[in-house]
Amino acid sequence: MTGINSSTALWYTSRATGVVALLLLTAVMLLGLLVTRQGRLPGLPKFAVSGLHRNLSLLATAFVAIHVLTAVTDGYVNIPVTAVVVPLASSYERVWLALGTVSFDLMLAAVITSLLRRHLSRKTWRAVHLTAYVSWPVAWFHSLFSSTDMRHGVLFLLAIVCAVAVIAAVLWRLASAGNDVPRAERVGLLMSAVHGRGRRGQQGRAPQGERTLSK
Amino acid sequence: MTQDTTGAATELPRLLPPPEDKNRNAHDWYAHTDRYGRLPYRERQGTLIADVEAAGLTGRGGAAFPVHRKLQAVLEAADKRRRTPVVIANGAESEPASDKDATLLWLSPHLVLDGLQLAAEAVGADTAILYTHVNRGHDVGARLREALQARQAAGVDRVPVQLATAPARFLAGQETALINHLSGGPAIPTFMPPRITERGLHGVPTLVQNAETLAHLALIARRGPRWFRGVGTVDEPGSMLATVRRADGKPRISEVPLGIPLQDLVGELGQDRAVLLGGYHGTWLTGSEARKLTLDNRSLAAVQAKVGAGIVITLPPDRCGLVETANVVRYLALESAGQCGPCLNGLPRIAAALAEIAGGRFGKHGTRPQVLADVQRWSGLVAGRGACHHPDGTTRFVRSALRVFAAEVDRHQRGRCSATVRQPFLPIPKDAARTEEDWI
Repeated sequence: MTGINSSTALWYTSRATGVVALLLLTAVMLLGLLVTRQGRLPGLPKFAVSGLHRNLSLLATAFVAIHVLTAVTDGYVNIPVTAVVVPLASSYERVWLALGTVSFDLMLAAVITSLLRRHLSRKTWRAVHLTAYVSWPVAWFHSLFSSTDMRHGVLFLLAIVCAVAVIAAVLWRLASAGNDVPRAERVGLLMSAVHGRGRRGQQGRAPQGERTLSK
Repeated sequence: MTQDTTGAATELPRLLPPPEDKNRNAHDWYAHTDRYGRLPYRERQGTLIADVEAAGLTGRGGAAFPVHRKLQAVLEAADKRRRTPVVIANGAESEPASDKDATLLWLSPHLVLDGLQLAAEAVGADTAILYTHVNRGHDVGARLREALQARQAAGVDRVPVQLATAPARFLAGQETALINHLSGGPAIPTFMPPRITERGLHGVPTLVQNAETLAHLALIARRGPRWFRGVGTVDEPGSMLATVRRADGKPRISEVPLGIPLQDLVGELGQDRAVLLGGYHGTWLTGSEARKLTLDNRSLAAVQAKVGAGIVITLPPDRCGLVETANVVRYLALESAGQCGPCLNGLPRIAAALAEIAGGRFGKHGTRPQVLADVQRWSGLVAGRGACHHPDGTTRFVRSALRVFAAEVDRHQRGRCSATVRQPFLPIPKDAARTEEDWI
């Protein structure tokens, strides 16, 4: 590897922002899974988890945007502008770059529908948002195979850690979905828990043990 | 406009049969046409809207939204999106304390059905639905089927009318819950937008009007806006059906002009007689406040109360306002649809705290008990944070109770209660929802 100078700066920027973007997207994915279970982070109220999910996703989008723009502008390899949104438009690393493009398109769809959420039905928004489950793995393969950076050493370990974390979180999400209380039973359950506690004068015990009141 | 003998502008009741009318068939088609004349179709879309605007008719379901604006919105959405709208008469009053829509549908079903046809014509709808509760006292459903048969025989209806029944839930009459239910789902509210005037039932522009509103509309079409303004105030013209409950607890439905003094409705009010205005999403008032007020939103704004669906209840002196409030809030908490966090988590806690206050198991002498502060804080936390106004209405009710019954709170703190009768006064439906089936 040569050093960073004015002619290679864009290339290095693109690679570095790509790595950071993968980390951020992993965090967004984990937080998103936590939000679907109405989970909490230590020291944060519930709404802050969804707030963090939202803000980190915007930050990740910014990093991906820089990653893409620098890759296209840089002259070291020739990537056409169309490759930003059109898959398979680049002859350089044709397939692996196409994965990046697909992932970016899905990400844009999720961000835009979330920003316009008040104008959409919940169904539409959710359908688009579910594509995150496709977008993230595609981005991961793009990260791993479109350059040699992430295939060795510490960065390779990082990529593996990200993948393991997301797979584990998805499994946890699927497993805990079975503990859901149906919507119509939630109120009665909480009522009896709260009233029962009041009568016995006990404080501070979570009313519903292992079960989650979320959808 | 022609004015027949029963149409003098200041004469009440307009919607219900006069109290001296002993005709047991006053609800049937012949009595109806005798009294009100034929159905005045306008033969053109939209022309009725100008009359409704001139009359100043507002929704009688509680929100008092100007009717012409809703009609206009549906008409415009239908034009813009080239979809044929649907009209729904909402007779599913869910306030357990109210009985006015059921009474209206029982005594004057044809007036509501007239209004439904005229509203359908005004917005160009091809489907009309009448949505009611399975009634507690009367078989309203059977009477409506009978009424529809009579109309079919007479050939008056231009738009077919379907009957639909609401599940026995407090929120079932809320507009978006109604749409969800008619679409085949549970009767739970959803977030707006999209507004149902633009995308309602099956995605078409939908007009939902309270049953009483449609009855007024049917009379405005016949007798004109000036006649409608013959009673009521300048800002809030017309009459409304009020449900009044006094010491005996029985509901009395009377048609009164807007702006009538509350004392004329419920009789002489002592200083310490509490009045509940607007039902379980309404406001408690002290007797000395209520004595000065009239039944219109302008007057009631002074005490942050609203006319709502016209429920006026006086609490008998042998009952305790705190116990009554705690009972009602428990019911309201159980009627939460369980979909918005603040409502689902907040209302049961508020209900538990109120039960504690009403039961007198709180605080030491002379200290300001934590539980009171908790209720105030939780009320602030849940208001305005749901898909519907259930948390807002409930906390308005709770806060007004703590203000009006402040002396009673002190008494409870010392372990006393002013109630001499244990039996609850405010009516509370027995069955809470247990499964999803109870919402469908």
